[in-house]
Amino acid sequence: MHSPELLKGTLQTILLKVLKDNGRMYGYELTQRVKALSEERILLTEGALYPALHKLEAEGMLKTEVVSMGKRVRKYYSLTPEGRSLVKERVSELIDFIKTMSSVLNVELA
Amino acid sequence: MNLLTSEHIDYIIKDLNYRGIFAETIQDELIDHICTAVEAEMATGKKFIDAYHLILKSFGHTGGLRETQKKVIQSENTKSRNMLKNYFTIAMRNLRKHSFYTFINVAGLSVGLAICFIILLFVINETSYDKHFENGDRIYRTKSEIKFGGNHYNMLYAPPILASALVAEYPEVEAAIRFRERGSYLVKRNIDNIKEDNVIWTDKDFFKVFSIPVIAGNAETALAEPNTIAISEKIAEKYFPGENALGQTLILDNKMNVKITAIYKTLPQNTHFHFDILISLEGLDEAKRLVWYSNNFQTYLLLRPGSDAKQLESKFTDLVIKHAMPQLAEVLGGDFTMEKFIAAGNKMEYTLQPLSDIHLKSSLQGEFEPGFDMAYVYLFVAVALFILMIACINFMNLSTARSANRAKEVGIRKVMGSFRSHLMRQFLTESILLTFASILLALGIVYLLLPFFNQLSLRTLSIPFNQPMLYAVMIAAALGVGLLAGIYPSFFLSAFKPVNVLKGNVSLGMKSGFIRSALVVFQFTISISLVIGTLAVNRQLNYIQNKKLGFNKDQVIVIEDAYALGTNRIPFKDEIMRSGKMENATMTGFLPVSGTWRSDNPWWVEGRDPAVQENMVSIQNWRIDYDYIKTMGMNIKEGRDFSRDFPSDSSAVIINEAALKSFRFDGEPIGSKIQSFRDGPDGGPDKDNPISLTVVGIVENFHFESLKQNVSPLMMELSKRAEGPISFRFQSQNTKEVIQLVETKWKELAPGQPFTYYFLDERFGTMYASETRLGKIFGIFSMIAIVIACLGLFALTSFTAEQRMKEIGIRKVLGASISSIVMLLSKELGKLVLIAFVLAAPLAWYGIDWWLKEYTYKTQVGVGLYLIAGIAAFFIAWATMSFQSFKAASNDPVKSLRSE
Repeated sequence: MHSPELLKGTLQTILLKVLKDNGRMYGYELTQRVKALSEERILLTEGALYPALHKLEAEGMLKTEVVSMGKRVRKYYSLTPEGRSLVKERVSELIDFIKTMSSVLNVELA
Repeated sequence: MNLLTSEHIDYIIKDLNYRGIFAETIQDELIDHICTAVEAEMATGKKFIDAYHLILKSFGHTGGLRETQKKVIQSENTKSRNMLKNYFTIAMRNLRKHSFYTFINVAGLSVGLAICFIILLFVINETSYDKHFENGDRIYRTKSEIKFGGNHYNMLYAPPILASALVAEYPEVEAAIRFRERGSYLVKRNIDNIKEDNVIWTDKDFFKVFSIPVIAGNAETALAEPNTIAISEKIAEKYFPGENALGQTLILDNKMNVKITAIYKTLPQNTHFHFDILISLEGLDEAKRLVWYSNNFQTYLLLRPGSDAKQLESKFTDLVIKHAMPQLAEVLGGDFTMEKFIAAGNKMEYTLQPLSDIHLKSSLQGEFEPGFDMAYVYLFVAVALFILMIACINFMNLSTARSANRAKEVGIRKVMGSFRSHLMRQFLTESILLTFASILLALGIVYLLLPFFNQLSLRTLSIPFNQPMLYAVMIAAALGVGLLAGIYPSFFLSAFKPVNVLKGNVSLGMKSGFIRSALVVFQFTISISLVIGTLAVNRQLNYIQNKKLGFNKDQVIVIEDAYALGTNRIPFKDEIMRSGKMENATMTGFLPVSGTWRSDNPWWVEGRDPAVQENMVSIQNWRIDYDYIKTMGMNIKEGRDFSRDFPSDSSAVIINEAALKSFRFDGEPIGSKIQSFRDGPDGGPDKDNPISLTVVGIVENFHFESLKQNVSPLMMELSKRAEGPISFRFQSQNTKEVIQLVETKWKELAPGQPFTYYFLDERFGTMYASETRLGKIFGIFSMIAIVIACLGLFALTSFTAEQRMKEIGIRKVLGASISSIVMLLSKELGKLVLIAFVLAAPLAWYGIDWWLKEYTYKTQVGVGLYLIAGIAAFFIAWATMSFQSFKAASNDPVKSLRSE
């Protein structure tokens, strides 16, 4: 499992990309999806996930819709047009970063 | 996969609540998340409670949950919108809770802002005059300063030849035009005459100098021929509705047939003239005279781009030496030289005045329309700002005075971790919100009041709703005034120490009142000064109305345009006299109110040398008839009035006391002779045939111009021709009857001619119209100022009374009377009003002195006036306070003490 410290800067990028690929999702679903995609090596903690989601929402990158499920309500997140354009930017930024890191650390990426 | 029962969910909700998860934004989401996760665990065969605890553990138990909640709230609160929303909500709650004080504040502020708004519109309008002319920065007009024969003129009238001389001599002058006023004209298309006031004679380059859009006709060739006119669109529509007016003919004064050669756009309100009919000067002989000693034409110049007006002006001295002086020497003859002329203290000087100075900085003889005084613009702005400040002070005082009520709020907020800056923002939001409401209200007030103000100031102001500037100004004003009013209270309130206020030492409200007292003093100083000023202006106006003028202005009706009667003038006068309703009648245009005929000539005592300049007296030369002095109610001091019994009176003259002094007769003035040259056939003075008149009477000085001026020398001789308006002195108190009598006769003898008349006392009043307006506007200003100041005082007293409720109760129980309590409550603020009066008196004295300076005849402003104003202000303030004090004092002490 990767250390949370390493994940810190990439959390938003992960959330945006996953939401882009999967359309609307709710919090728990997001953690599960990331877990599956990373073969259980990335475990999003709720303490990091929700503040990040709310922040992106406040910035207008995400929109939400609330679905009532009997006693509980479920809040779905999806990308806004602004968020959609941000995804590309963030992903290419991250790829660049990975490349830079590989040359800095002098290792060849598989 | 519904593994969770309803009870399970309830349990989770309750448990999370218990653990302190209650923020709306996250609660539901966390519940759903946990439920889903628990279900997932239960699906692997775990029991509910084990699964729940496993999930809780992954969150980090209570601490972790709370941490998540906190982070979420924080991440959302970085948005400033939420913060502002919070300030806004709290502000609204506070304002609503103290609606009385909010009302006082909003009422004061909105009235103050409305006044500022109106003044702003007014000032914008006043400074926009003549700005619409394209070449405005290159347009100048000439001013003449002439000092000769004991007279001193500062006027716009220039010699007819000046314009052409300037164009010929100086290449920097691109064009020069002249104006000649000859009063109103009767204008006729077919049958009926209509009187038009805005008629002027001018040169053909008028449209070259003034960029007025010409709708029809050729601007370059219009007015080039004699008997051609250009008319405004307004006139075209009036006389030729729905027709093409170009090329049509109008008849002026029943005798001049004129052709319309151009139609121009009606001049906007903010122009210093509003001519509707321009008559070509080509048709006026007077305009062709090549003389320098007769001044009748206003002269305007258009300079070439890049010319220096100052430099051009400095060359005018040479022009006078080269052209004017030789002519003067020829006319006056004798030993006239330029050096002697100047040595005797005489002057003949021409200067330039830029177009932009005309409306606000010029009031010379010969203005087309009265301008406005720049000093009054400043005065208005100052007064408007003062009123706004008075309103702002109300806000400051009420906020700080009521600080006790909010001290606890401040204390708690600070304990909860609020910074001082947060609190200041909170208080500023309140004041800005309040100002914003006031501004909207002010806009409504302006909308309602503007028609009245327009009537008073003779303007056509309107709120420019279609200009985005208005909204920018409104928002800027809300922020600006809100800051101005809110900055002091916000500093004051946010400075409280939480320990002190929460312990209960909150008597801050009334104690730290030095600044508050100073502000109240300031408010009343301004208000009282304004009241004193208003009283002084009104007293001067009263003085003018009731001053002994040397003639009787009441009960005289003047029938204008009597020339329209043609040969029926005398029959008209005689027939009306025969009705027995009139005491006297006279026919002349020389009337003792400004704006009527004037004529000025040099005269000397017979036997003295006219070539010696000291012997010459420049004197008003009025031509009247036998009944003039009786009709006007003037007094003969010495000698006698003109009489039909003396045929020799055709060469007699009556002079006024001022003339008596100027002539310095050697012997007995009655019977002495005075001489002058009449105009010869060539237009110049006829030096071979001086005319002589014998003094038969001396009339008491009477004011024939505004009281701003001294009575100047004047002589009256019998007119050879019967001309000018006809004035009747009537006995009847029933003016309606008088008008009816005259009008019926007029219609009989002058069918189809417009009947216009005025009463002499009304015309006299219009000489002081601007003063009357000033008096009214000031009256309104000072009333508003004092009302707003009193509103504040009212609220302050009611607050004091509220604060001291218990004290008053105890005093009453111990036997204090109502009056002593009222005294107690009003004493402090009363003292402040007294101090304000002491400060206001010298301030007002200075202002009144400045204003009265321009009057030669002025009222005495004694101590009495100040006392009246002071007592009035004190009484109003005291009445305001005692209303509240009395209410507090007459309260049943049982009620105020019971709650303890």
